[in-house]
Amino acid sequence: MASAAPERLSRARPALATTYEGDDPALLAKIAPLVDVIEIAPDAIAASDGAHSALRRDVLDEYQSVAGEVGFVAHGIGLSIGSFDGWNEDYLRLLDGLFERLPLRWHSEHLACTRVAGENVGTMFSLPRTDEAVDLVCGRVDEIQRRYGVPFLLEHVIQLLPDPPGRHSPAGFINAIARRTGCGLIIDAYNLECDAHNQGLDLDAFLDELDMAPVREMHLAGGVELNGFRLDVHSGVVAASTLALGRKIAARAPNLDLVTYEFLKEAVPLIGHDAICAELKRVRAAIAA
Amino acid sequence: MSPLEAQQRGLLDLVKGRGAPPDDPYLKRVARSRELAMVRSIALWWRAYTLERQCPFTAKLLKREGRFDALVTAYFDANATSPFAEDVSRGFLRGLEAQEGPLTRAVARFDRALIELRMGANEDVDLAWDRHPGDVFAAIESGARPPPAEASCVYRMRVLAPAPGRIECVRVALGAAG
Repeated sequence: MASAAPERLSRARPALATTYEGDDPALLAKIAPLVDVIEIAPDAIAASDGAHSALRRDVLDEYQSVAGEVGFVAHGIGLSIGSFDGWNEDYLRLLDGLFERLPLRWHSEHLACTRVAGENVGTMFSLPRTDEAVDLVCGRVDEIQRRYGVPFLLEHVIQLLPDPPGRHSPAGFINAIARRTGCGLIIDAYNLECDAHNQGLDLDAFLDELDMAPVREMHLAGGVELNGFRLDVHSGVVAASTLALGRKIAARAPNLDLVTYEFLKEAVPLIGHDAICAELKRVRAAIAA
Repeated sequence: MSPLEAQQRGLLDLVKGRGAPPDDPYLKRVARSRELAMVRSIALWWRAYTLERQCPFTAKLLKREGRFDALVTAYFDANATSPFAEDVSRGFLRGLEAQEGPLTRAVARFDRALIELRMGANEDVDLAWDRHPGDVFAAIESGARPPPAEASCVYRMRVLAPAPGRIECVRVALGAAG
């Protein structure tokens, strides 16, 4: 699978996706007709009995109920592909269960570390941009591409902690992994804005350096600014600046298949069903097919 | 230890507020940074948010006493907190049941019983209260001071497994309890 090219969704412009994490059938009924794909976070629809975690059947049934209308992609949180001591096997079990139940066009994960020495860190650490990290991640990407019969995409995460020393530039680090493994990429326009705000990332230089051919998906989201930091909490609508950056990315990414408006389940009461639907129409009009 | 392992272990210690001050120049920089404080506050905010939703009575009681945030922080720092809300909540509540006085212990056990039953446990849960639980819940909900313990009796409560919303409770005079 290492060199498999992600299957195109056969659209001249990218398709539209959004997040749905269950327990709100009224929202699902409203968004399903507005999107082409639903993004599923396996960890977010799982529950634990203290010893084992399992996907919630009631939420899987909800997805099944709209399977005739939309496609599905999985977007993980907890694989922890960059942990020095191995990835999270529990997450892969959840992903296995999701693959058994739903036809997933592809799956993706954050280029990050969420566990250290088996302990959940309670946040997401970005990886040092070193050859050691490139080697470690590439080995795991190769393994995961062999394990599943669909494409695998990686998403960069925001760099909130001070930037660690490393040999690669932000775009160069991603390029090195994508080129060696043949994996796809997700570019998150809001994450890039966060890095520009918090770390002074030069967006034009980043986009000039990034190999855009592997970019198959783009994320759009809204967040908050707190104590001078821009945070990727996915709690709002997409700012005009984010949408403009999204258009710029879309114009440069020749193989962009999917644009996903992401929001946290916890933010739904804050944003509101109507605003979410309006946002999907707005994003589709601006970027997607 | 590889550089990646040293860095990730060091960052975990910093986020969890554990361990000795780091020697590594990068970790020293992180330790002094306002970014670390922000990352830690976000991690703690999510744990507190989870606990408020999963353990509503316990959270309100501890908030009224002004101890909620400190206890959440202490739990986060000292434990390998699960990514699953139910596990974080169970662990937090078990810690309170082991360390706190009778009132907090009973409220925590009650919240944990509801979690277990929501997760599909099929056994009734028995709890003992040293004061009227209805008065305790009314006080928690209104933000009033909880009632004092009653020396002469104990309240035996049973949370019924088939319907976690159904609860039976009887007052037993201590002289007749045995």
